[in-house]
Amino acid sequence: MTPLFALLFDSIDDRLRLRGAADKAVNKVFPHHWSFLLGEVALVSLGILVLTGTYLTFFYRGSSELVTYNGSLELYNGRMLPAAYESVMRLSYDVPGGLLFRRLHRGASHLFIAATVLHMLRILFTGAFRTPREFNYLIGIVLFTLALAEGFIGYSLPYDSLAGTGLRIAYSTALAVPLVGPQVAYWVFGGEFPTGDVIPRFYVLHVMLLPALLLGITGVHLFFLVRQRHTQFPRRGIDGHNFILGKPLWPAQFAETVTLSLWMFGLLAVAATVVPWSDVALSGPYVPGEVGNNAQPDWFMFWLDGMLRMLPAFEIDLPGVTISALFVAGLVLPGLVFGALIIYPWLEKRWYRLDGDWHVLQNPLDIPLRAGFGLGTFLAVLLMSAAATSDQLSRITGIPIETVLWFFRITTLFLPPLLGFALARWSRRRLDRRDLEVARRESTESQELHGVVAERV
Amino acid sequence: MSTTRDDESEAGVGPSSRPTSGSPAGELQIVSSEDPPPSQINDALVLGLSIVAAVSGIVFGVAITLDAPMLLYGSALAIGLFALGYAVRRYFTDRFPLVEAVEPRLRFTDPDIEDDDAAPTSIPAIQPVPRRPFLQWALLGSAGAFLLGLLAPISTLGPRPRAGQIRQTAWREGTRVVNTEGRPIRPDDIAAGGVAYVWPEGAVGNEKSSVVLLSLGRPALEPTILDWVVEDRLVAYSKVCTHAGCPVALYRQQDEALFCPCHQSTFDTVRGAVPTFGPAARALPQLPLGVDRDGYLVALGDFEELVGPAYG
Ligand code: FES
Repeated sequence: MTPLFALLFDSIDDRLRLRGAADKAVNKVFPHHWSFLLGEVALVSLGILVLTGTYLTFFYRGSSELVTYNGSLELYNGRMLPAAYESVMRLSYDVPGGLLFRRLHRGASHLFIAATVLHMLRILFTGAFRTPREFNYLIGIVLFTLALAEGFIGYSLPYDSLAGTGLRIAYSTALAVPLVGPQVAYWVFGGEFPTGDVIPRFYVLHVMLLPALLLGITGVHLFFLVRQRHTQFPRRGIDGHNFILGKPLWPAQFAETVTLSLWMFGLLAVAATVVPWSDVALSGPYVPGEVGNNAQPDWFMFWLDGMLRMLPAFEIDLPGVTISALFVAGLVLPGLVFGALIIYPWLEKRWYRLDGDWHVLQNPLDIPLRAGFGLGTFLAVLLMSAAATSDQLSRITGIPIETVLWFFRITTLFLPPLLGFALARWSRRRLDRRDLEVARRESTESQELHGVVAERV
Repeated sequence: MSTTRDDESEAGVGPSSRPTSGSPAGELQIVSSEDPPPSQINDALVLGLSIVAAVSGIVFGVAITLDAPMLLYGSALAIGLFALGYAVRRYFTDRFPLVEAVEPRLRFTDPDIEDDDAAPTSIPAIQPVPRRPFLQWALLGSAGAFLLGLLAPISTLGPRPRAGQIRQTAWREGTRVVNTEGRPIRPDDIAAGGVAYVWPEGAVGNEKSSVVLLSLGRPALEPTILDWVVEDRLVAYSKVCTHAGCPVALYRQQDEALFCPCHQSTFDTVRGAVPTFGPAARALPQLPLGVDRDGYLVALGDFEELVGPAYG
């Protein structure tokens, strides 16, 4: 460090007295495993989203009022377009670098949600949610929900025909809530769809409220992590419940994070330069009452869209309320998936009668309940997502769409529980076999090894 | 040190007993530390990558500013990021010892364990191996140049000011003087001692071109340009204050002064609207005013002085 920097640091520290705490912070030990980078990828994507998003706000107009487009895109020159769509066209085709930044933003949003999902799966399958980390797991689910909302709203803001269609479906789903639906829908959308309030409101949600929540709650998430320390994978020779082995934050982890951020940004830059995604010029502006073929949301909304397609049509008219398939598919079933994710840590704790701190990660096959539950839930969401491509699948394969749909209905209903249960059984057998083997060796340590987990299932 | 045990504790069994000895939780213990061997190749790599990153950043910036194809600046951005990332990686592996450390865990569900996180540590942050300080400067300089390049999109936030654009208003030779409704005005429409806020025809609401038209109660004096005074009484001044651009909206009849409500600059309308009080340094520009063949008030040209505040 140069004398100038040293002087600056010293004089700051003379006023804050943080050197001891700072040394401790930079000495925090990071266990080494590739899957620990997933959360970091999500964090870095969030940073890239804030940077590129700030740039986009300089050009975007959060309004659906019609204005005349005068720009270099022949297709729309001189036509009236919604202001939001017009500003996106202008940014994309008349501002140098505008399209690149839009694509970077979109790419980072996909990466953010994908990394969040994978990070969540890692936590779920390896048991990183156990005491003392249950609350941080719940905070993670909140962050995931916010990320989905942010992604959906971001997809709506260009106000192209797909965006408008997505908004219409969201509005209809809100309407479908028994008793309070219409009022809630009017509150959210400012009246009967489409109102001029939707885009301005969703814009503010997208750039102010939701990012503030995302960043703030991410801060809490990280605070929990720093205070509770990382979990770690089992390693011979280290008592992982009492010690963490790894590289200190400074310099090894710091260098790794900087490299990761720059390379991730680099990959996004390559993708944004080469792949023509998020170019909404062709889908056209949203015009009420018009929709193109293949109306489909972003991939992270596929599971909800798939549910909407699969659930058989019904409307039950009760005195004063109507329960529709839209309500059940769009809100009740997703609510059940989230509910299952939320209660799972406590379910497992009950099932295996666990207490105390747990810091060492596990092979999910060692915990039959988790293996079965995890596979079942994951498979269900995967099949629901796949069902959102039913029309394309039918077109490509030539199989009638009814058949495709029935295929997905049956597999989604039966496959997850069947395979989940089978995996749980198989894992249980595997543990039993290992127990037998150990018993044959008559090792006393074996009791400690499998005692807790092999008792049940 | 009691951090290692010979048995296997990897199958996720229950927490085992507390270590009996050792340092408090949150205190780092270094297990192994390996100094990297000096390497010429590494130096060359860091230096080369730093140069590549800096050049890419500059190419990105220039390409954006010149509106070059996206393929060019997109690839420059990607190459710069990859190079910088790799340079950072090589730099750190070369300059810092490879350290593995253990840290005793806090016990959260054990009420008897006191909070150790508040205690200061006795282990300072890991220090670099003292060698080749120029690499540090190469890397920092490269990162700086790259970041500078990333600022180039600022140049796309607005158009470039055209020469003379700021001096120009909507007034031209023969442009009729109209009121806010767009109706042209005859000299008779302004009573003695009257005042009107007027615009150039076809540019009502064009802020820079707003004008105060007034009828003086006594003959205009120097430095008023008398050729531009119609019927010896009607003068027109720019309504944009020469201090900071507020509309000079108040006309005080007793001393025939225009008064700016923002910082109280006062302009003498009889004497060419020179400032008599307040922070404004220049007179309100006088509009060349005349009457056309149909008897309507018109401009004889654009303002000759700069309208509104000074610019840099
Ligand atoms: S703007 Fe008129 S006095 Fe300052």
